[in-house]
Amino acid sequence: MPNRIKSVMPYLQQDRRTFLADVGWGCVGMALGTLLDQEARAESSVRGTQVVPPRAKSVIWVFLSGGYSHLETFDPKPALNKYAGKTFDEIPLENPLRSTLHHKRFRSVPAEEVNVRDVYPTIYPMQVGWSPCGASGIEVTHWWPHLGSCVDDLCFVRNMWTTDNDHAAENQFHTGRHRLDPVEPSIGAWASYGLGTINENLPKFVVLGGPTRTDTRQSIDANYLGPQFSGVPLAIDPKNPLPFGQRSAGHAAHQQAEEYALIAELNELTAVQYPDDAELRARIHAYELAYRMQAAVPGAVDFATETASTRSLYGLDNDATRVAGERMLAARRLVERGVRFVQVFPSDYGVWDSHQKLQENHTKLCASVDQPIAALVRDLKQRGLLDDVLVVFCTEFGRTPGLELRGGGKDGRDHHPHGFTIWLAGAGVKRGYVHGATDELGYHALGEGHYVTDLHATVLHLMGLDHRALEIPGRKRLEIDRGSVMAEILA
Amino acid sequence: MIPLRQFLLALCLLSHSGMNHARSMDVVEYTRDIKPLLRQHCFSCHGALRQAGNLRVDTVVGMLTGGDNGTALQPGDFEHSAIWQRITDPQESTRMPAEGRPLNVQELSRIRTWISNGALRPELETPEADPREHWSFQPPVRTKLPPADDSITQLNPIDAFINSQLMQRKIEPLPIADPAILLRRVYLDLIGLPPDEEQLKAFQADPSPIAYAAEVDRLLASPAYGERWARHWMDVWRYADWHGRRGVPDVWNSAPQIWRWRDWIVDSLNADVGYDEMIRQMLAADEIHSTQPDSLVATGFLARNWYALNPNDWMRSNVEHTAKAFLGLTFNCAHCHDHKYDPITQEDYFRWRAFFEPLGMRQDRLAQGPDPGEFQRYNYLTLRKIVRTGIIRVYDENLAAPTWFYTGGDERNHQKAKGSIGPGVPAVFAQLPPVSPVHLPAAAWYPAFDPTIEKSIKDDLQAILDAKVARFAKAQNEHDQAPSELLLLRLELARMELSAARADVVRVQTQLSAEKAKLDATEQSIRPIEQEAKQLMSLARDAQEEVTWRNAEAAVLAARVAVAEAELLADSTPNRATTIETAQTQLTEATKKKSQLIVEKSESVELPALTPVYPKISSGRRTALAHWLTHRANPLTARVAVNHIWLRHFHAPLVATVFDFGRNGAQPTHPELLDWLAVELQESNWSMKQLHRLIVTSAAYQRASGGNVYAKWVTENEALDSENRTLWRANTGRMESEVVRDAILFCSQRLDGTMGGQELENSEALTTYRRTLYYSCQPENDGTSEFGRLFDAPDPSQCYRRTRTILPQQSLALTNSDFVHQLSQNLAHRISTQCSESTSFVDTIFRRIVARDPTPEERVACDKFLAESSIKEQSMERRAALIRVVFNHNDFITVR
Repeated sequence: MPNRIKSVMPYLQQDRRTFLADVGWGCVGMALGTLLDQEARAESSVRGTQVVPPRAKSVIWVFLSGGYSHLETFDPKPALNKYAGKTFDEIPLENPLRSTLHHKRFRSVPAEEVNVRDVYPTIYPMQVGWSPCGASGIEVTHWWPHLGSCVDDLCFVRNMWTTDNDHAAENQFHTGRHRLDPVEPSIGAWASYGLGTINENLPKFVVLGGPTRTDTRQSIDANYLGPQFSGVPLAIDPKNPLPFGQRSAGHAAHQQAEEYALIAELNELTAVQYPDDAELRARIHAYELAYRMQAAVPGAVDFATETASTRSLYGLDNDATRVAGERMLAARRLVERGVRFVQVFPSDYGVWDSHQKLQENHTKLCASVDQPIAALVRDLKQRGLLDDVLVVFCTEFGRTPGLELRGGGKDGRDHHPHGFTIWLAGAGVKRGYVHGATDELGYHALGEGHYVTDLHATVLHLMGLDHRALEIPGRKRLEIDRGSVMAEILA
Repeated sequence: MIPLRQFLLALCLLSHSGMNHARSMDVVEYTRDIKPLLRQHCFSCHGALRQAGNLRVDTVVGMLTGGDNGTALQPGDFEHSAIWQRITDPQESTRMPAEGRPLNVQELSRIRTWISNGALRPELETPEADPREHWSFQPPVRTKLPPADDSITQLNPIDAFINSQLMQRKIEPLPIADPAILLRRVYLDLIGLPPDEEQLKAFQADPSPIAYAAEVDRLLASPAYGERWARHWMDVWRYADWHGRRGVPDVWNSAPQIWRWRDWIVDSLNADVGYDEMIRQMLAADEIHSTQPDSLVATGFLARNWYALNPNDWMRSNVEHTAKAFLGLTFNCAHCHDHKYDPITQEDYFRWRAFFEPLGMRQDRLAQGPDPGEFQRYNYLTLRKIVRTGIIRVYDENLAAPTWFYTGGDERNHQKAKGSIGPGVPAVFAQLPPVSPVHLPAAAWYPAFDPTIEKSIKDDLQAILDAKVARFAKAQNEHDQAPSELLLLRLELARMELSAARADVVRVQTQLSAEKAKLDATEQSIRPIEQEAKQLMSLARDAQEEVTWRNAEAAVLAARVAVAEAELLADSTPNRATTIETAQTQLTEATKKKSQLIVEKSESVELPALTPVYPKISSGRRTALAHWLTHRANPLTARVAVNHIWLRHFHAPLVATVFDFGRNGAQPTHPELLDWLAVELQESNWSMKQLHRLIVTSAAYQRASGGNVYAKWVTENEALDSENRTLWRANTGRMESEVVRDAILFCSQRLDGTMGGQELENSEALTTYRRTLYYSCQPENDGTSEFGRLFDAPDPSQCYRRTRTILPQQSLALTNSDFVHQLSQNLAHRISTQCSESTSFVDTIFRRIVARDPTPEERVACDKFLAESSIKEQSMERRAALIRVVFNHNDFITVR
């Protein structure tokens, strides 16, 4: 921390991290810094760890809970149709179950052995057709007509893998840690921790539509970085967007303004009495911010100023797409206002989990998300924001190439951590590009593939941060926590 | 790992830039540029802790002397220096450092320059100290108190140490704080609630040391003390209510009865149970107080770590958190390799784990309570139910459970060839007392032998019997009123059920007598008793047969009743035929079952146990561990406890790294004081209340924290000790999240003082008014209230020290929540009945909320605020608004 800040906070006896925790949300930290050295450095890094020029000012992280089928979305496999109904042993391809990659990549919760979860070897055909899209000719299935027309702006990563075969993989996707390991901060929290604020009236890390369930809280939590770096869930309700963000019933605006004025007056009087109390100064500023934040947050989720064509672009006029559309539109409004990390859950917890009736499930769900996400990409592009904003579209794992037989199943796929697809778009990544692949059956991610933390490293890198430099002394991280930047996808 | 190509690229860069750079790097200086590098990357294997290959690199002499492979350093010739060869080895498997990242270009370049320039070294270089000599591994010694500087004879020993350091550094400490500030400080500190107006008034009238001491005694005797400090220890001991998948619900972690452990903490603190005894109970109550449920619940400390899906995870948490909480050591760092800083080998890690290896979870019935049934084990396809009755506790389930060494922190890599590892402690510490198996009393391994449980079982039977008697009487009555074939059948059924219930009473009584006789026979090997036991068991078996037979008979009668009822249905009843058919099938089956029973009757049957049966022997491992931890010779336990207590009184610890007293941890700011207090704790029966009293009656605790009256003084002292390490003033504290909520309720006179019980849901935290520690605390989203989260509620996964933030939303919570609005309106009404004048109203709310009088300026500002509301009806709302403002006053949330 700058010496001048330290000099006014002498008696706290706390280390750098605790100090930053003390001043909260980072925005207060900046406010205090501004107060002390009259120097607003809104876009610079609080940690001073930006090692490369940042490409992305903000990230919109779209997570689809439950595990969409990589096969029926962005990694279609003709071999599944060719060998439909045959088992892995009956076809001329290498049996993926015999691959050493299983032991290398996979950990299981219920038992120490790998492959403990039922493995389904009977190949289940593709449940939808697909065709090449755009100038790049990237193949996308017919469940994504809107997104298919945007592929020239997208960058697919088709060789992701993870290790948890249960839905705790949702947490793992955000923290990099398997359920059996101690919990780590989530990706949004690292970004929030590492970066300064652009708009001090808004949180740096906002969550829309989440956490999806009580036990997925860690996907938005800062854990040991401190609670002020956790995601702040906002409701898309201009009347009551965040907890305590709205005046109590019958409490008029002018009354509250007078109260805040008196609070400020009393605290200023106390500041005269305790001139050396730096926390008091920070608190005075935090309270001033509170008042402004209360005014700024509702505006961020109020669509009154959006045109009819924008509303219609996002599908707000259609019941099927409204929920996801509102969240995508709110995400755009938040990044426009300088929020650093917007974590969007366009659909509810676990809904993409299609053990049965995959076709029915995905037909419905793709239709609820396709138009809104395509709208977000288009809208960002037409506003020139796609150069500064990175969009990530992801899920916790893929789905098995084999037919799930559990419970007499005949039309679904099981969880599949061994290979799946995500995509990115915007700031700093290639456009109309496919990186990596799974094998012919869509089973294993080929090559080294990418564990989820490679995505974290890439996102932080694009924001100008180095994972390693952000680490907290005494909090040991492993190489797998840090991941490696996916250099091949950088523009 | 850094990919090989990147490393080689770095090497390339180095050799290209090589010669040119040498000149500019001439200024490389060993102590400044080289030694810190070696310390960071090499000392853990080639220093005092370990000497891999018999090589030490913690001094230049050590490097010159070399190890098994000869000298490691050729001054002036980097290419032939083994050190250089190894740190630049292109083979990853042999390159140093063996773990962690390779040295980068700049670092390598520095080392090469230093060697090329002749490997210059300081004249005097001492090797790293022997790790065994680390301060915290030496038993604490009570040193003689430093002499006082003046004639004060009754100096608090804490002040003797602190003043001596202040004198040495020529720092004049601030005087005792203003009485109002001091009173509020000690109230919030000891009971987590501020003083009320009467208490404030009395103390302001007589703020003498005697009156202060009396206040302290009163606070320590208050049950609210236990609630306040229980929350602190719940942080350290990782209290967490059940979680896993709460929305389902599916219990994966901790247990729904864990709150009894929380209540045990509160009660134990209030009873001033020694810290040593608390540790013993938390780790081994099942071995040392095996039949006392009040004590068994203490093992919630271990039960809390339980994780349904993975026993290995349970063991890992037990290892990590017993070591951090009680010893201040990071055993978890030795999970994958020998500890990098402390003399804890990877094998020590598994030795520590072996203390817990036999553990299992168990659910016990409480006297007069319903039977919780057996503890539900995890099954991949079954949800784990929320059981709220009885207690949750641990026991040694499998004495033969092996502890396997595994590598890489991955339990899949068992090294079974090494054999199972037994319990033990690192060699640096005193020996573990011998581990002797504990022979449990019968009531501990077979709860039916516990007289209170026996009574509960019999009460259950009696209740069934009573119900059957009533039913029989009713059937008899109905039949007497209007006899019919159906009613006669019903009467026969009731008679048979009654008779079965009676037989069951006999069965249970006889079985229990038989089991007791058998126990006596085994324990005392008396032949006649053995005979008696056999006879009784035979009788019990007869009784059981009787029960089975009568139940079978009752089933037939029940089916006959069903048939008769069906036949009586009106012809028009839908499905009449099917109903009759079903009843007849039932009758056929029941009759068949009964006839088969007659065949089976001659077989001797093993009687089902009346309660679960557990192992008769416990390993005694955890008892040994608990005794070792709480033994006088243990150098860490008392120090770690004192530090935790000190931290919470002074808002700053004596050792900054509260869970790491190892070599990588911080040095104590007042080592002699820490040791003195540690010995004091040990020698006063580990009484925590005595330690609190000693601390809060010290002058160091009572000092002013600052303020403009001391402005010059503060400035002078800050120049000498800006971080207040010498404690020349009090540190300013901030209310913890629980205290914020509790104090708002208390100031509003709405706090519900009910103690203990099952945890409450956070969804009710702002509409119900119990103390905050009774609301659910677990890591899921509903494990913290929105309000608590904003004020830094503890992380239930690990919270050895709280964080302290200042967030804008905190103010929003205090100004916008219905909680605060409701309470402030209530309070405005209440106070207004006492004081109609606005001036006295302002005074009253200041005294109530911030426990002091308003300053003249504050009074003016508040009066003006109230006066601005001209309309009469609005004046009450205005007063409520002023109350909210004062809750937002910095001096409410701040502990001065």
